Amino acid sequence: MNTNLKISNVTKIYPGCVANDNVSLEFNSGKIYALLGENGAGKSTLVKILSGVIIPDEGKIYLNENNLELNSPSDAKKNDIGMVFQHFNLFETLSVFENLIIDSDEERESLREKIDSIMRKYNFSIDLDIPVLNLSAGQKQKVEIIRCLIRNPKVLIMDEPTSVLTEQETSELFLSLKKFSEEGILIIYITHKLKEVMQLCDEVAVMRRGKLVSVSEIKNENIESLANKMVGQNLKTIKKKKVKTSSDQLIKITNLNFTSEDPFETNLMDINFSVNRGECLGIAGISGNGQSELFQVLSGEILSDKNSIEFYKNYIGDLNPQERREYLMAFSPEDRLEQAAIPQMKIFENVALNNFKSSNFFNNGLINENKIKEHSKKIISDFNVNTDNIDLKSQFLSGGNLQKLIIGRELITSPDLLICFNPTWGLDVGAINYIHETLIKINEQNKSIILISTDTDELLKLSDKISVIHKGRLSKIMDSDEVTSEKLGILMGGGN
Amino acid sequence: MIIDINFVGLIIVSIMASAVPLILASCGELITERSGVLNLGVEGMMIIGAISGFALMTVTGSLIIAVFGAMLAGVLISTIFAFLTQTLITNHVATGLALTIFGIGISAMIGKNFVGIPGKEFPVLFEGLKDTIPLLSPILFGHSIVFYFAFALPFITSYFLKKTKIGLIVRAVGDSPESASNQGINVRFVRYACILYGGAMCGLAGAYLSMIYTPQWIENMTGGRGWIALALVVFSTWNPIKILIGAMIFGGLTIIQFHMQAIGVRIPVQFLTALPYIVTIIVLVVISRDSRKIRLSTPSSLGKSFHKDN
Repeated sequence: MNTNLKISNVTKIYPGCVANDNVSLEFNSGKIYALLGENGAGKSTLVKILSGVIIPDEGKIYLNENNLELNSPSDAKKNDIGMVFQHFNLFETLSVFENLIIDSDEERESLREKIDSIMRKYNFSIDLDIPVLNLSAGQKQKVEIIRCLIRNPKVLIMDEPTSVLTEQETSELFLSLKKFSEEGILIIYITHKLKEVMQLCDEVAVMRRGKLVSVSEIKNENIESLANKMVGQNLKTIKKKKVKTSSDQLIKITNLNFTSEDPFETNLMDINFSVNRGECLGIAGISGNGQSELFQVLSGEILSDKNSIEFYKNYIGDLNPQERREYLMAFSPEDRLEQAAIPQMKIFENVALNNFKSSNFFNNGLINENKIKEHSKKIISDFNVNTDNIDLKSQFLSGGNLQKLIIGRELITSPDLLICFNPTWGLDVGAINYIHETLIKINEQNKSIILISTDTDELLKLSDKISVIHKGRLSKIMDSDEVTSEKLGILMGGGN
Repeated sequence: MIIDINFVGLIIVSIMASAVPLILASCGELITERSGVLNLGVEGMMIIGAISGFALMTVTGSLIIAVFGAMLAGVLISTIFAFLTQTLITNHVATGLALTIFGIGISAMIGKNFVGIPGKEFPVLFEGLKDTIPLLSPILFGHSIVFYFAFALPFITSYFLKKTKIGLIVRAVGDSPESASNQGINVRFVRYACILYGGAMCGLAGAYLSMIYTPQWIENMTGGRGWIALALVVFSTWNPIKILIGAMIFGGLTIIQFHMQAIGVRIPVQFLTALPYIVTIIVLVVISRDSRKIRLSTPSSLGKSFHKDN
């Protein structure tokens, strides 16, 4: 049966911000729709309205001509609208089966059979009796999808589903989504990743600042045209000018090993590489292959053998992050709100955390607030952080602004080496462009970068040399002109 | 030395009897904590139950009214806690502490008129079977209904949490109130219900103390048992069956304390009183060695307030 979902003149206003401004859209089953927009464009608000989490100020939703009253998530469920949230709505300590049975009225036995048949049909394999916290992100998402499928939904909404997935898991997800679509489920796919829209969807609706700016068929669009619609201006394409880098060696890693006690961490085996001044070394890999351990070893969160890390003629393997910063190293960890900044603390307080002997942030144990605030203001203006309130708690900054603040905090001391881990993860196109430009600029100033990233395009764009990490081992270091994304893909999968 | 078999039986029975209020209060608090609410008011709710039970028994003369009245009193005082923490979103720890102080104070005030009044005899079950089997039958038979209920409660609680839909919902709310709310579960309602249930069990535990265990009213007669019950929940790693074991150990420590004093063994009383807490800390240290285990057993949202957006 054909499903028709109509959003009619929906408006949602928050104090100081119009999240959805008179949005009207129509969807029909048989197609996969993309809802595209930058962070804060209003797409999440719109789908939360569709799933009953948020109640709109004005406007109506029609499913097959019936006006829906969506006042709670259970109303959406009753009306056959299924939603997979960006942040999983799973109970980590409960078993997979308990997670699935909790919102179902069916008997345990019949539900188990139903789940088994869904899993067989779509080739999912998940142990139903282990706690959810033992699952990978991809498996957790499958649990969420199964939870929707149990109810035979007419509409399935996916909110930024690939932000936590590996490339392998992403392509599996796309296959499943196409299958669902063929079976008549209407799919709405929310993302800010243009490549995915081109790969997966049939039609695309673009939102910007709460307004719907365009609806078009994918075959009439390309990545550039969509990016321009999304950002609302012509984006300049960034290309790094390849210059002959110096042979002045800055950091050298020799026979670095790390053996973890935690079975969920990856051991690092025999890591060797060096980076020259003005050079960017990219480290590619599927997440969970030792990147986070490598970052921690390089930043000093995990200490290693003194002689394994040589930084400009000093052996620093046994120094902690603070001591390494004194040697002009800087770090931008993967998790912005957990590792790089403290969400409940104000912007200037977070700036003060990166404290040097020379920074004079503290006098005789007292906080020199004026000095720190002055310094913070400089970071905010130099690095284009879109706020003028340094008393704002960091958790209220958008991902892009927070990343700019962190990169700014690290770079304002003009370090010789910046080590960053997935610096553009989850950011929108505008912010990604800005971060990329910044990284290129510091290379041009003869400073070095170690860029650990799961985004292959980013690595090819920014790196001078590239290596691939797989199961805690580093491949040989290649010149980035010689590698293609296909070759990286093979190495990332463990091939030769 | 010949050990008198009756004496051994007596010790075991007295340990079990002292474990009863701990089991009742802990099993109640366990349900509250499994839903993510940390109610430190156990001691206060118990003492309110104790005075309410004793006062109602004295005034009405009815044991049934007294027992259920004590439970109702526990429910009422826990309603204050539920309203403050769930509706007005106050801090769990501060509110719970206040509840205990409030309970001790108000029970002393009400209790003024009941000091020195003798209690009533509480009927026991299966008294006729008490002499049938040596050692075993004194342990099994001739106890109050509350005693039997207490020893069944951990198993009922375990079954409830593991096997029933409502138990699953309680655990889900304690694991992630946000996800539960997005699944259409009314988090506030579930937490209210769990807090009120905890209050009822603490009230019953208090009534057991003032009506059955030592049938009289003495000011502050719970004597820290509420705190031991709280420690017991942690000790058990939120597992009802382990509460039974823990209550026997902690109850045993209290009894041994008496006997040691009687025999004249010179271990400071203060040390024995502190033992349950020391044991709890040791258990905490041992389980926190395994971060996965502690994540799996601790309700993730314990003590955290939940605001629903919009």
